[in-house]
Amino acid sequence: MNQSKKRIEFKFERTIPAPPDEVYEAWLNPRIPGNPWNAAEKFMLDPKVDGLFYWALKGTSHYGRFTEIERPGRIQHTWVSPNTLGEESTVMVTFQKQGEDTLMTLVHSDLPDHELARGHEKGWNYFLGIFREQFGNGSRKKYRWDDAHTPVRK
Amino acid sequence: MPNITPYGVMLSMDSLTNVLTAISHPTRRAIIGQLANGPARFLDVAEPFDTALNAVTKHLKVLERAGLIERRKQGREVYLSFRGEPLGEVAGWVHEYELFWNQRLNQFEQYFKNKKKKEKKR
Repeated sequence: MNQSKKRIEFKFERTIPAPPDEVYEAWLNPRIPGNPWNAAEKFMLDPKVDGLFYWALKGTSHYGRFTEIERPGRIQHTWVSPNTLGEESTVMVTFQKQGEDTLMTLVHSDLPDHELARGHEKGWNYFLGIFREQFGNGSRKKYRWDDAHTPVRK
Repeated sequence: MPNITPYGVMLSMDSLTNVLTAISHPTRRAIIGQLANGPARFLDVAEPFDTALNAVTKHLKVLERAGLIERRKQGREVYLSFRGEPLGEVAGWVHEYELFWNQRLNQFEQYFKNKKKKEKKR
């Protein structure tokens, strides 16, 4: 298989109004909205080094293995799905104390660079700002996971 | 023909190129920003820009070709309005994981904000 060597990454930051240990626990708790496992119809989660996770939604499966677990500061795991073209990508989440809050940083890296992803390099953050304004207030079509997450068709 | 990919059904590359070209210039982005607030007359759109009307007209043509604005004649005036649909379609082209994580993290953040509000009420 001819695999692209170039990789891309995305970085996200949020300030969460709670201390790092609480935010850390919530990120690994499938009952809390917003973490990846909470979105799943089926999941397995074993958050320890070399522990595995699996979750599935609408027929698309995601797999990974935890590579770093440092409570309450850092979680790192691999991430494999049809949308990584079956290759291992890396998700690193850090939790830093910021006064009474937590600065949460999520970096999804080692994503295979292919044509659809390259557009990001042209400055999509501006663009997402427009989306938030235009589509985020309910007056227009909102982004929905289902819309973008069509299983691979052969 | 739309492209069917693991990321969903995409705009044809020509339409996509038109939209991306349209938003690649700061003046055109400023025009979009202005029209996102509501329809405006051509002269009102052109006024904030320190450039010839002819240049503004060219920018408007690029936006029109991308389907991002519409012209409507009312009497002697030409009104321009913003159309968000092409940007919405392009959203499917933006890397899925950027959308996915933004959506998940927004929910996560909101959960804690709601929790804090509830705690304050007690």
